[in-house]
Amino acid sequence: MKRAAQSIGKFLLQTKLFWGLAVLYLVGIVSSPVNRKGLNIFLEPGNQSDVLRQVSNNGIIAVGMTLVILTGGIDLSVGSMMALGSVVCAMLLTQQGWTNASMLAIPVLALVSFFLCAYLVPLIAIHATKGAAKSVEKASPAARWIGIGLGAILAVASILWTVAQIGPKFGVLGVLIAVPAVGLTFGAINGLFITKGRMQPFIVTLAMMVAILGIARLLGGSNTAVHPVYSGTNATEDFDVLRALLFQILPVPGIFFLIAVLVFGFVLKVSTFGRYIYAIGGNEQAARLAGIQVDHLKIAVYAISGMLASTAGVLYTAQYRQGKPDAGEGAELDAIAAVVIGGTNLMGGRGSMLGTLVGVLIFGFLGNILQLRNIDSNTQLVLKGGIILAAVLLQEGQVGLFWRQIRSVFPTIGRVPAKRLDSPPVEEAGTRPQA
Amino acid sequence: MVGTTEQTERPIQPALQMRGISKSFGPTQVLRKVDFDLRAGEIHALMGENGAGKSTLMKIAAGLIDPYDGDIFVAGKGYRMATPRDAMTAGIAMIQQELSLVPELAVDENIFLGQEKVRSLFFVNREQQIRSAREVLQPLDFHGRIDQPVAKLRVGEQQLVEIAKALVSNTRILIMDEPTSALSINETERLFHVIRRLAKEGVAIVYISHRMEEVLALGDRVTVLRDGQRIGSMSKERANRRDIIRMMVGRELQEVFATGKSDTATRKPVLEVSNLWLENPAPTLARPMLVENVSFGVAAGEVLGIAGLLGAGRTETLEIIFGLHNGTSGGEVRIKGKKVRLLNPVDAKAAGIALVTEDRKRDGLVLGSGIDRNVELPVLRTIAAFGLVSDAEELKLAEQTIARLGIQASGPKQPAGTLSGGNQQKLVIGKWLWTKPRVLLLDEPTRGIDVGAKAEIYRLIGTLAEEGLAIVFVSSEMPELTLLSDRILVLREGRPTALLAREQFSHESILEYASPGGTIQPEFGELSIAR
Repeated sequence: MKRAAQSIGKFLLQTKLFWGLAVLYLVGIVSSPVNRKGLNIFLEPGNQSDVLRQVSNNGIIAVGMTLVILTGGIDLSVGSMMALGSVVCAMLLTQQGWTNASMLAIPVLALVSFFLCAYLVPLIAIHATKGAAKSVEKASPAARWIGIGLGAILAVASILWTVAQIGPKFGVLGVLIAVPAVGLTFGAINGLFITKGRMQPFIVTLAMMVAILGIARLLGGSNTAVHPVYSGTNATEDFDVLRALLFQILPVPGIFFLIAVLVFGFVLKVSTFGRYIYAIGGNEQAARLAGIQVDHLKIAVYAISGMLASTAGVLYTAQYRQGKPDAGEGAELDAIAAVVIGGTNLMGGRGSMLGTLVGVLIFGFLGNILQLRNIDSNTQLVLKGGIILAAVLLQEGQVGLFWRQIRSVFPTIGRVPAKRLDSPPVEEAGTRPQA
Repeated sequence: MVGTTEQTERPIQPALQMRGISKSFGPTQVLRKVDFDLRAGEIHALMGENGAGKSTLMKIAAGLIDPYDGDIFVAGKGYRMATPRDAMTAGIAMIQQELSLVPELAVDENIFLGQEKVRSLFFVNREQQIRSAREVLQPLDFHGRIDQPVAKLRVGEQQLVEIAKALVSNTRILIMDEPTSALSINETERLFHVIRRLAKEGVAIVYISHRMEEVLALGDRVTVLRDGQRIGSMSKERANRRDIIRMMVGRELQEVFATGKSDTATRKPVLEVSNLWLENPAPTLARPMLVENVSFGVAAGEVLGIAGLLGAGRTETLEIIFGLHNGTSGGEVRIKGKKVRLLNPVDAKAAGIALVTEDRKRDGLVLGSGIDRNVELPVLRTIAAFGLVSDAEELKLAEQTIARLGIQASGPKQPAGTLSGGNQQKLVIGKWLWTKPRVLLLDEPTRGIDVGAKAEIYRLIGTLAEEGLAIVFVSSEMPELTLLSDRILVLREGRPTALLAREQFSHESILEYASPGGTIQPEFGELSIAR
């Protein structure tokens, strides 16, 4: 009986994050106003699908951020990356010929396809030869050359393809390939500085946050240039796909978010890449000394983060029908907050993608509930801050310690002093340690 | 208890009394109701094997470990040592094995750190600080410059700075943890001189060590701990080597390990290194290189010990071979006669080299992850098909490792951080065995491990050598080196000074070759003249 109670308690403790979300959801139902038909607005399918749409951008960024934070790093450049993504996307969609955006996108795409191929082909070759430990770390020279060759072919092909795209304008497929490649490249630059330059992730990505914002503004033409995207008039119709509602309920950005969660959640759980990420975050030195290519993996993680952030930029452009350099203002902080609420430790090595999903949803539903209640946006900020603090305090399981320390400062709050002797015990002859 | 109570009970209060001190780290209890007494003006040696709890007990007294159970009295007054500050007010200072000076600050700034001499408001009065520092340091026989950063001093001098730092804060009880592990013979003698003088002035001194000679030469009293318990104390007059060893180990030493060592010197070496060198990131005139001219060969089944003082470049030598100092190091490494390029641990692993580091918690294990997640790290790709890890194989790997090395754990998922030191060490060795190495580099493989586990590690090293591994191991423990090694290479300040065959092993000769200013074997001597 007692054991059952204990295991239930343990279960509740382990799943407290989900209970938090459930409680918040209940609060949403109870506090929601009803519409004219007497239906609960919060529960309306339209509202639920709105929440998913609203969180999807932050969510996609948070997925990449989860990987980065799990390695013990941080990526502050994602907001700017998203802004750059939205500007490049809007320009590729609306402007013909050689523009700043296409001049960036074409070489970047060629570069990315070459390096991805040249790196991944030997890696796949390694993985295909499962077995003897001797051969697993080094790809055969043949595999390397095949990778480089294929990469070169792919690079040329991608140049030809993109050049063909700029004649008319880029369609939805074009931007969905070109823009993430831009983010991937800048993310990889983050990773290169962090690993090869032995610099702090905070500093590198802070610098990149500033620099990329500048690049976005330079590309856009003038400081606050907004590039409106009206599919049908100045862009192709098919771009509207990205803002569609599938089956009247599923917003396409939400699908992007959920796919990202699924794919990278799966990668974290079962792949070698995921194991390595946890190992690096848990003890980078131990991972390095185990002969793991820590530098490569970290570069990959930052590249993925950049790629996802710029993809969020594409979705932003679709959603707001514009690309602008201040699109991602504060996005990095929202993403970090969601990851942290989801129970991922900022020191790295501990956390999960499922947690991030819940963290993103908690953030989204909270905003939605407050909006439905018409609560002033500044008050919303205060409440969000409070939620972050409370969530992390609960997650880290330090509530008891926190309480004890408060009590040690204010001893009058019901403290029972530990029993300690005030004077030395009287030594009896014979018990004294011999001198 | 050993011996009987002495009748000459002096009326004075003991300087320090510890009563019923207990402490656990997770599941392992490191101290069990330990009592400890210290009189003013005595030099009290605290002895015990690694992991016996000596350092833990004294760290509690110095306020470095909290919470603990038990009571502490200083000069008859009860104290709760929650922080180092509490210990400071009680007049207790501890000099740890790893010195706690700020390397960039000057000598006087270190001595007066936290209690700077100020001119007015908050302007530091350097002149007065330097003058006061000189007053304190002069009697300590300090030769360095006071206005220079301590990073430029030798370890022995740095230690004197630590002592001075303790003295200026009115320390009445000075605890020293293995203070001679990095010192040459001369420096050790000077330190003993200083310690005796301080004791004469009434400072009570706790001297933690496991070196018998030092303790017998220096201590007024000896207290021995074993497995977290106080085994007994004895005065200088009664203390003798044999009793102390028996109290420390709990049984006679010989039974621990014995193998019939075969002659391995004639076999072809598996690992050959020649002229290894490593730049000193902070070069000094005396030490432009951290490692220089190190060459040796190890055959399959051979155990090569590397001896030397702390900072002699032993760890660095292993690290160079493992490819950890790419860009600042060089030399030639051959595996089975074939030259290999080792730019990083990935290359080393592929070449069949494994390194078990000194600090397994910092460098060896992902402490928060289970045994399974640790074991698989070096060979993860072998149990994964197209990047997807097979859970079944992962479990099999962990279980086989646990069984093969006799790791005591609740299961393959137990977090590595909750294992005992010995089991952690077995885990680190075990994970490397899956890479099927030809060369195993071990750095202080028994540091912080209790006696029983130590014997198991020794046996494991013996077995692995029999299975044909070439083993290079670094150790600071003389008995361990002489017990396990087929040959011993002695390093001194980054340079080899001797290569001893088994019949030449003795603690005295190793120490002689290891100490700066000591003799050098002729073949190594020529090298240093040629420089």
